[in-house]
Amino acid sequence: MLNSPRLKILLGTLITFACGATAMADAITVTDVAGREITLDGPAERVILGEGRQIYLLGLLEPEAPFAHVVGWREDFSQADPDNYARYAERFPEIEAIPTFGGFKDGTFDVEQAASLNPDVVLMNIEAKAATEDAAYDDKLAQLGIPIVYVDFREDPIEHTIPSMRIIGQIMDDEEAAEEFIEFAETQLARVTDVIAEANPERPSVFIDRAGGYSDECCMSFGPANFGDYVTLAGGSNIAEGIIPNSFGNLNPEQIIAANPDHVVVTGGNWDAYVPGGNWVGVGPGSDMQSARAKLEALTERTAMTGIKAVESGNFHAIWHQFYNSPYYFVAVQQLAKWLHPELFEDLDPNATMKELHERFLPIDYETGYWISLHDD
Amino acid sequence: MTTDTRMTETAVTDRLSQGRAFYHSQVFRRQMILAALVLALFFSLCVDLALGPARYSLGEVVAALFTPDSVSQQARVIVWEIRMPVALMALVVGASLSVAGAQMQTILSNPLASPFTLGISAGASFGAALGLAFGVAIVPAAIEFVVPINAFVMAMFTAFLIHALSLKRGVTVETIVLIDIAMVFIFNSLMALIQFFASQEAVSAVVFWTMGSLTKATWPKFWIALSILALSMPLLARHGWALTAMRLGDAKAESMGVNPRALRLEVLVLVSLLAAIAVAFVGTIGFIGLVGPHIARILLGEDQRFFLPGSALCGALILSVGSVISKIIIPGTIIPIGIITSLVGIPFFLFLVLNHKKASW
Repeated sequence: MLNSPRLKILLGTLITFACGATAMADAITVTDVAGREITLDGPAERVILGEGRQIYLLGLLEPEAPFAHVVGWREDFSQADPDNYARYAERFPEIEAIPTFGGFKDGTFDVEQAASLNPDVVLMNIEAKAATEDAAYDDKLAQLGIPIVYVDFREDPIEHTIPSMRIIGQIMDDEEAAEEFIEFAETQLARVTDVIAEANPERPSVFIDRAGGYSDECCMSFGPANFGDYVTLAGGSNIAEGIIPNSFGNLNPEQIIAANPDHVVVTGGNWDAYVPGGNWVGVGPGSDMQSARAKLEALTERTAMTGIKAVESGNFHAIWHQFYNSPYYFVAVQQLAKWLHPELFEDLDPNATMKELHERFLPIDYETGYWISLHDD
Repeated sequence: MTTDTRMTETAVTDRLSQGRAFYHSQVFRRQMILAALVLALFFSLCVDLALGPARYSLGEVVAALFTPDSVSQQARVIVWEIRMPVALMALVVGASLSVAGAQMQTILSNPLASPFTLGISAGASFGAALGLAFGVAIVPAAIEFVVPINAFVMAMFTAFLIHALSLKRGVTVETIVLIDIAMVFIFNSLMALIQFFASQEAVSAVVFWTMGSLTKATWPKFWIALSILALSMPLLARHGWALTAMRLGDAKAESMGVNPRALRLEVLVLVSLLAAIAVAFVGTIGFIGLVGPHIARILLGEDQRFFLPGSALCGALILSVGSVISKIIIPGTIIPIGIITSLVGIPFFLFLVLNHKKASW
């Protein structure tokens, strides 16, 4: 966004001069998930990823060369999802050479470094918006003619993932691929939501144990958003709803015993980089199921799990934590639905969905291991 | 004896007995205040045990307490494994932090001294953050204790660094306070650096840790914290008179036969231990170490015989009431205790300060 109208006119004139009338015809206008209108003077060739895991989106659109247009990114991908990072790095060794930015949620980065990479566009996650505007990065980048486009697949994945896909498709000139994926995602989600809407089954109560075992603190969970939404879509009722006001929060361990949930869903991942040898459940691509199962079993021993129905019945599950922050959320919804209503979803095979997702859209091969249940034998 | 001298003698005896009566009434009043604090503390502990999202009736809680076998397993676990360690930990940690703050204020002759303002908490937070964000163990140990051990080691390290620097020639009490403040800033910067490089999950874990939370309490942690408190209290009480004298200034204390340096070192070690254990187990709870002693001083005066137990009781009471409030604001979740104690305690503290006629410092 530009501060002064005079500057805007000046820039506009410059662009007109520089690009000529033909280039102007190619101008792309998108409305990002923050509701801002952004105009680019052509498909983006050089992109900065304000969050590394945005590659999940880019990988869907350009599976042959997802990193071809990435000139810089934040280094969260290798840390938060090392298993997939390793798979991408194996297939695309060039990713090790992409310049990285540090920083955390506030999306801080060095404007000068960003500018020196000469990007056409910076993709930023929506939760970084406040900090970005606070530091006026948006103004500074705008003065360099570099627009910021906000996307989101974490704060509200259900609402924002598909628009985000569409936005990236537009600016990268990959609209067809984007629409193809969107169609796939919507169809797969409908396989759950249609059945739930029609059968209107009784909703079992679910406790989502966010990053269970990550710390000895008990217990982090999701409010009425993200995994909380997934549970609702899958025909369950989240016990933290009405207690945790926003996406993330903590439950009193006593509340879990009091609510006596029918199911417990632990989110997990390979967090060896953060808590080496911790009690987290390391589900994810190609994970070691035996160790995951042992750790999941150990989590049933926690005080807050004493005598709850989920432990007694074995409806104690673990699922890949990064589903909270990836465009593959519909697979999580499918698997949750299968756990919550096995009789309704006997024919549904989330593994097959995941396989199709990888085969049709993704540059890497599918490896099982994204979820486990103590109910499985 | 003449009539005159007899009269003077009666007057002296009168004044003496008046003074004695005043002293006794003063002591009695202070004993009563201590008793009232104990009573309030007991009441708060009962409420803390009785309240919780599982909504057991008072009868059930009492049954779970005294005849655990007569109630369901869930009730037993909730009362004994979830509510009890938290409620008791609140008492011990509150008392430890408050006593630590009280004696820091005494030995440094500074009303702003507390484990929080003097870098011990900041050091502990830094140690904890290292463990939480990067899994760095300062002392190789069992993985589940990395965070408290890191916090403890860094807190003690800070305390000894402060002590080592304070041994240099020409270092006054004021210099020590300045060194402490420098420590706070160093650790705060290092903390910020960790947060800058850490992942989002780790940052939220660090932030949550620094808010302080009693839900980390377990029985073993409680016993460790209790034994440190139980060991240090008599050691500090033994120096009661000397510490009271210290408040008059080093020179006067010395003329009364106190060795200020030796006393300062011993007390510093004890309070660092108290504060480090408390912070390592429940995270930083800033307000108590500063305000607990001030409330005790306003209520009971400077005499260590009352000031020391009074500080312990005030700290325990604030944290216990805070624990109750943190549970009932949003039933089902627990607001981090560090947030509650300040928000709830400050108005009460201001009320006391503004209504207190004499200057208490």
